[in-house]
Amino acid sequence: MNRFLSKDFLSGLMFIGFGLFVLYFGQKLAVGTSVRMGPGYVPHMLSYILLVLGVLICVIALYAGGETVEAPKWRPITLVTVGIVAFALLLESFGLFPALVALVIIASLGGDEFKLTEVVGNVVVLTILCILVFKVGLGMNISVLQGVW
Amino acid sequence: MDLLSNLYLGLSVAVSLQNLLYCLIGCMVGTLIGVLPGIGPVATIAMLLPITFHLPPTASLIMLAGIYYGAQYGGSTTSILVNLPGEASSVVTCIDGYQMARKGRAGAALSISAVGSFFAGTIGTIIIVMFAEPLTRMAQKFGPADYCSLMALGLVAAVVLANGSVLKAIAMVFLGLLFGLVGTDVNTGAQRFTFDIPELSDGIDFAPIAMGLFGIAEIVVNLERRMQRSGAIKVTSLWPTREEIRRAWPAVMRGTALGAILGVLPGGGPTLGAFSAYTLEKKISKRPEEFGKGAVEGVAAPEAANNAAAQTSFIPMLTLGIPSNAVMALMVGAMIIQGIQPGPEVMTKKPDLFWGMIVSMWVGNLMLVIINLPMIGMWVKLLTVPYRFLAPAILLFCCVGAYSLQNSTFHVMQVAMFGVLGYIFARLGCEGAPFLLGLVLGPQMEEYFRRAMLLSRGDPRVFIERPISLGLLIATAILLVLMALPSIKKAREEAFQEEES
Repeated sequence: MNRFLSKDFLSGLMFIGFGLFVLYFGQKLAVGTSVRMGPGYVPHMLSYILLVLGVLICVIALYAGGETVEAPKWRPITLVTVGIVAFALLLESFGLFPALVALVIIASLGGDEFKLTEVVGNVVVLTILCILVFKVGLGMNISVLQGVW
Repeated sequence: MDLLSNLYLGLSVAVSLQNLLYCLIGCMVGTLIGVLPGIGPVATIAMLLPITFHLPPTASLIMLAGIYYGAQYGGSTTSILVNLPGEASSVVTCIDGYQMARKGRAGAALSISAVGSFFAGTIGTIIIVMFAEPLTRMAQKFGPADYCSLMALGLVAAVVLANGSVLKAIAMVFLGLLFGLVGTDVNTGAQRFTFDIPELSDGIDFAPIAMGLFGIAEIVVNLERRMQRSGAIKVTSLWPTREEIRRAWPAVMRGTALGAILGVLPGGGPTLGAFSAYTLEKKISKRPEEFGKGAVEGVAAPEAANNAAAQTSFIPMLTLGIPSNAVMALMVGAMIIQGIQPGPEVMTKKPDLFWGMIVSMWVGNLMLVIINLPMIGMWVKLLTVPYRFLAPAILLFCCVGAYSLQNSTFHVMQVAMFGVLGYIFARLGCEGAPFLLGLVLGPQMEEYFRRAMLLSRGDPRVFIERPISLGLLIATAILLVLMALPSIKKAREEAFQEEES
């Protein structure tokens, strides 16, 4: 078993990464003194603590070992993310309906069963539901098809 | 007495037509997602947060609370009939509930768990009423240093009950605190970690983070493993036998008491309450061999406990503004969206909201018994809806909800980003709940910390010189030391293993 691929070691690395990120991008923020704290005081304090914790988690993981991280399945996470991004890109220029269709189809591809008739049915039901809840129910100002309705 | 007039005020708010309607919606949605495995109250409340922005504050909080305790009712139905926990808090109900169902006692198990839950919910509501005022009065004496220490205690206690490594959970709290700092610094006006993105200058929005971390990540994890469904058992008569009632009611009482206590503790909540109640019943029972084979007590006690705990976990949030678990963190978020700063002032400044919400919980519990028992067939039918229909629907609601926050697609992008981050967390075994608590408490904690240090002229000893603060810090330290003790560490690991198996 590779100890460097344990869940604990990798999460330690993640915490160290976040700590360094904050330190790097927060270096321009004035730290100030403990009486007159600048905007950077608390971020610096927190990121140092996070760094210490991250190092600690890594060291313990190397000594004690631990669960190896499972190989991720790329399909669901990628397609779900792409679906959301597509929704965001289509929504304002084309309207809710095209964005909805894109999201539902792309996300459905992320599952392990894809039947076109089912997805079409899902799109129809969700479109009606969305219009009822968001447009009629909550009175949101959102266009279903840009320029048409 | 004041209490009665407060309750009267609460009742008049809770039974207004609008609030009754939102209470009903909350209870229905709660039951629905409780019945459906693969989506929990945290993800649902996160998803609905932006919608509450369009509702009046009282109605929205009543609805969100309804989802939370409604899920406790719905979760037991799935546990008993399909042997699948609809919710984490009804995992133990599967053990004996499903066995009862196989023996043809499904109806009895369902009605005992519903009535037991209702009883526990009623007691839980009474406890909230009794403790709300004294605790609030106590909290009003707190200075900035005391508040800071109280939050530290709350955060550490939440960590203790997180699944998995304590050290990782603590690191997650700090990560959450750091994310909470994004935005304009209140004291100096300096921009912190906004990267010149105007949407970030007010701070990173809470709802998209919660939706990404809990909603999206949960969907992805569920899509990765195939969800298998077995057929549900048919329900015949709902009436329990006299013998069953005789055995169930003491268990309900014990479960209620235990759940109510564990619910108040920071980091506690329904899941912990249910597990402890089951263990207690098994220990004190004269017939421990029956457990696992359909013992009535094994259904009655945990179901009462999870509902009592769901109610009492509102106490620290309502009185002190300190959320004790992820759902309460979301409730705090919902209050902030409405422009209400959670804390002891809520009771004095917004008594109608405060008491209305509490009374509505009791009304909601009553509704739930009615929704759940006679309509059981309808809920069971929902179980046949495959996850591939559900997942796109949840995603869509998250996206439209995020957009509606400020009519900006920036928030939808944020959902996608935090979905990926949440997925990484899940893969690395890092709990999302401590992160969320840190995120919610971060800005306030920094405020109090800086104010306390300013008042003491930069002397950190202020935190140990004030008796309240000192007491809270000692409690925090004791908790941390306890966690490091080998025997407790072992017991904790065993408890979580039982939960996972």
